[in-house]
Amino acid sequence: MFSTDKQMGYQCFVSFFDLRDPSQIENNEPYMKIPCSDSKITSAVWGPLGEFIIAGHENGELNQFSAKSGEQLSNIKEHTKQINDIQTSRDMTMFITASKDNTAKLFDCTSLKHLKTFRTERPVNSAALSPIFDHVVLGGGQEAMDVTTTSTRIGKFEARFFHLAFEEEFGRVKGHFGPINSVAFHPDGKSYSSGGEDGYVRIHYFDPQYFEFEFEA
Amino acid sequence: MQDTEESPAAAAPPGAQGPAEQPERPDAPAPPAEPPQLQPPEQEEDEKEDEEREGGGESQAPPEPPEEPEQPRPPSGRQSPAQAEPQPGSEPEAGAEPGAAQEDGEAAPAGPAEPEDEISFSDPEDFVDDISDEELLGDILKDQPQEADGIDSVIVVDNVPQVGPDRLEKLKNVIHKIFSKFGKIINEFYPEADGKTKGYIFLEYMSPSHAVDAVKNADGYKLDKQHTFRVNLFTDFDKYMTISDEWEIPEKQPFKDLGNLRYWLEDPDCRDQYSVIFESGDRTSIFWNDIKEPVQIEDRARWTETYVRWSPKGTYLATFHQRGIALWGGEKFKQIQRFSHQGVQLIDFSPCERYLVTFSPLMDTQDDPQAIIIWDILTGQKKRGFHCENSAHWPIFKWSHDGKFFARMTSDTLSIYETPSMGLLDKKSLKINGIRDFSWSPGGNIIAFWVPEDKDIPARVTLMQLPSRQEIRVRNLFNVVDCKLHWQKNGDYLCVKVDRTPKGTQGVVTNFEIFRMREKQVPVDVVEMKESIIAFAWEPNGSKFAVLHGETPRISVSFYHVKNNGKIELIKTFDKQQANTIFWSPQGQFVVLAGLRSMNGALAFVDTSDCTMMNIAEHYTASDVEWDPTGRYIVTSVSWWSHKVDNAYWLWTFQGRLLQKNNKDRFCQLLWRPRPATLLSEDQIKELVERRRTMMEEFRKYRKMAQELYMEQRNERLELRGGVDTDELDSNVDDWEEETVEFFINEEIITLAEPDSTRSCAEKKFVCFPTAYINFGILNPYSCTLEGWMHQIFSILTHCIPVSLPKPFQAQDGDLYSELLETSGACRDDMPSKEEKGGNTPKEEDRDVMDSQEFTAMREEINLLLAEQHRMVALSMRRGRSPQGCQSGSL
Repeated sequence: MFSTDKQMGYQCFVSFFDLRDPSQIENNEPYMKIPCSDSKITSAVWGPLGEFIIAGHENGELNQFSAKSGEQLSNIKEHTKQINDIQTSRDMTMFITASKDNTAKLFDCTSLKHLKTFRTERPVNSAALSPIFDHVVLGGGQEAMDVTTTSTRIGKFEARFFHLAFEEEFGRVKGHFGPINSVAFHPDGKSYSSGGEDGYVRIHYFDPQYFEFEFEA
Repeated sequence: MQDTEESPAAAAPPGAQGPAEQPERPDAPAPPAEPPQLQPPEQEEDEKEDEEREGGGESQAPPEPPEEPEQPRPPSGRQSPAQAEPQPGSEPEAGAEPGAAQEDGEAAPAGPAEPEDEISFSDPEDFVDDISDEELLGDILKDQPQEADGIDSVIVVDNVPQVGPDRLEKLKNVIHKIFSKFGKIINEFYPEADGKTKGYIFLEYMSPSHAVDAVKNADGYKLDKQHTFRVNLFTDFDKYMTISDEWEIPEKQPFKDLGNLRYWLEDPDCRDQYSVIFESGDRTSIFWNDIKEPVQIEDRARWTETYVRWSPKGTYLATFHQRGIALWGGEKFKQIQRFSHQGVQLIDFSPCERYLVTFSPLMDTQDDPQAIIIWDILTGQKKRGFHCENSAHWPIFKWSHDGKFFARMTSDTLSIYETPSMGLLDKKSLKINGIRDFSWSPGGNIIAFWVPEDKDIPARVTLMQLPSRQEIRVRNLFNVVDCKLHWQKNGDYLCVKVDRTPKGTQGVVTNFEIFRMREKQVPVDVVEMKESIIAFAWEPNGSKFAVLHGETPRISVSFYHVKNNGKIELIKTFDKQQANTIFWSPQGQFVVLAGLRSMNGALAFVDTSDCTMMNIAEHYTASDVEWDPTGRYIVTSVSWWSHKVDNAYWLWTFQGRLLQKNNKDRFCQLLWRPRPATLLSEDQIKELVERRRTMMEEFRKYRKMAQELYMEQRNERLELRGGVDTDELDSNVDDWEEETVEFFINEEIITLAEPDSTRSCAEKKFVCFPTAYINFGILNPYSCTLEGWMHQIFSILTHCIPVSLPKPFQAQDGDLYSELLETSGACRDDMPSKEEKGGNTPKEEDRDVMDSQEFTAMREEINLLLAEQHRMVALSMRRGRSPQGCQSGSL
């Protein structure tokens, strides 16, 4: 599955290929194409069991498209600006969106029910869920095009850790000198990586205290 | 005057040497016992004072009453010498020129008349006296009695019994008895009507000061049930008469917007501020505490003359000046208020930040107490002045936690005042014979005080509720030498340190009497200490306390815990400590034991939750230790006031990690800006916690639901993935293949610092990798073990993640690279692989065939990498560890 950009008179399409049929790739003939006329898709992931995809749009909408029929299963609009990234939890029951509207939001995969919101002061480019804790890491910062006019301090190019249930920030990791474009947890949850506009991928291992740290409740 | 002016300046720096808690320190300079009294007041700020001065000035004027002009001299010797002199001189003059004395003729008829008969000095008949009296005796006439003279000495007494002439004499006797206490009555007048007195009388004293005294003390005197005297100065009647009947609305003071005085709490990074005095007091700066380096906010030369103080909630910064106190605040540290108190030395804020108490040894006078002044901070008005009679430790006035009451102790009395009236609570002090010390609870309006033994009466520690004055607990103690009262910061516990000399012994034994304030009847438990006590401190917000005990070379610290059932448990004792002071973190749990001054600044950072010594450090010759208000950082400093070299302050984390060393020229004092208590009420905090709990609960519920759904889908998932369970990382263990890989590593000797060991490593040519679990292209998540490390090598070598190892392979005594290419190169399209070249088995010739530039370059790179890895393995093996620090028994 991939989507094409709306450009030069071309429409935005989501294309579906079945890898079991090599001819589809060879001939570049997806078995299904879903056109998106109003707002282009900026990010998408497969839903649980590969039954549908969850697509985030430029205008902040979220859609579920069936992978079989291509029909739109549900639609919500929780974000006000472009959705930059969608990542699912390890068990694919929930996913987190990162949006240009300075927030990241947690949703249920099947129902698209909005669960949590994580607020920052800068556009969020990427968000990832920890596989072992109720933690989420957000990466972002001032947009790349504005960065030259600001210092790194104002840009806030920090990876920020939030608690999933309390929506409270509990940690920040500095280091990038450009906005963070992508963050990901290691599958074992013991480290995470971030890739920035500055051209660096930074791999951070958590301190032992991270694993001992417990939220008070 | 010069001397007295200098004394506060000289006394202040040593006083300021101590930390902010100076008032609590016994070595702080105590206010002098006998402040200079009766000094001529110099400041005109009090009406009363002005009045007083007028009175004082008047007393030098002739005190002759107008009613007795025929009396040339005052009846008593109380006349001031200034006036006594010109009068004798005036007599011969008057005699020489009788004309001039014509007006006085009545006064001195006999004297001048006699010489007139013998020698004629008389003027010719037609003589016209054209010299006025003014010209001749101007200086004497000035002192001429005036009608209004002495009017200041007259008082009017109302509500005097109305009596007939028969009892008038008796009444006069009574009145005389009452009013002659204040001075000699030289004239009295009982107006009469219809044969009875009118019920009010006039009395005249020798001097106006007596009259003032009489008004002050006799007003409100109860003669009997029906008659309560109202005494007023005669001159006051004029004043009262001229008061207009209409009340004028006082002009409204324009509201001065001072900005947000608590702006510093809104710092997005939650940093704290602190003030620093350096250059021996000439410069004062305010900094943000930042991890990297302090960020300066404000820097002023000669901001204060001695030291500075923050108000208890951090709103104001007080600076000391010869002429008084100035308060600063807001974002730009503008001046907010000034309090004029000449020679001020010590100040104290009320806990509510509403009142300021200042002390100056200069200003006191008998009538107008000014040694201690209480000010209203918001309006800047003086609320009340006090004398300072005894040399108690500062603060002389102790405030209750909410600022509603303040109290002071004098011998045998405890005076409790209330705000805002500043009057005595219930109009009377508490009489407590022999009271030695008292202290307010920081958690309620309870006062604790103790009195020593008096013959057969044992020593007592009393807890008294206010304002009801109800004694809630009295504890009797025997053979007491001394007591010290220590409140826990919340007022949950009170510890009384009791030094006793038990009967028949010589030495002093110390007991801690722990009062549990929050329980019914306030139960008391006792901890006996065998050794002498150096320091005691409660954990703020907790139920632990720390004690330093022992003799100098063998000092121990013990931590105790007061359990809910009242049992006091020793948690831990650390022996051989270099410490003489205990500094608890404001949040509790963490404590720093410091050996200040004589102990060279040894520091021990202790976590009392499990009683571990987190760090032991030293700040040589450190004189002060200051926790930040949040308990995140701690500052140790060497003050110029105590030590003239190496003046600096160091910033540490609460765990004892040194963050910054800030050297400042002649650094004097660092004070953290306090933070106000949380604005949330207890209920609100509870609600917050509750909300968090429900949030977590809801989230858990959702997760449970999601997990269930996930489990339900398990079968479908298995089906989709061809029966392979991907839920668990180590599922399908049985399908995994175990391989032993051995391969030759190129010998390449890199010279290291230790050539011997290198050689021994290099001699070992084979590295044995035990096993490789590779399954379906998923990187084993536990890749920090040795297997993971091997993966890394493979990844480096082939620039891709190994997908699978198709079959067991044995490293030949040949080239490693070809093997690797064969095993893992298959998944990398852009690399020349055996298969593409058509070769089936790795052979020496094949390698030669694939002779491309890229290949050679890569090969060299790999060799280098491998050699490096080899070295690492060898080195770590020597240390008995696997490269990643994990256990690996297979090597």
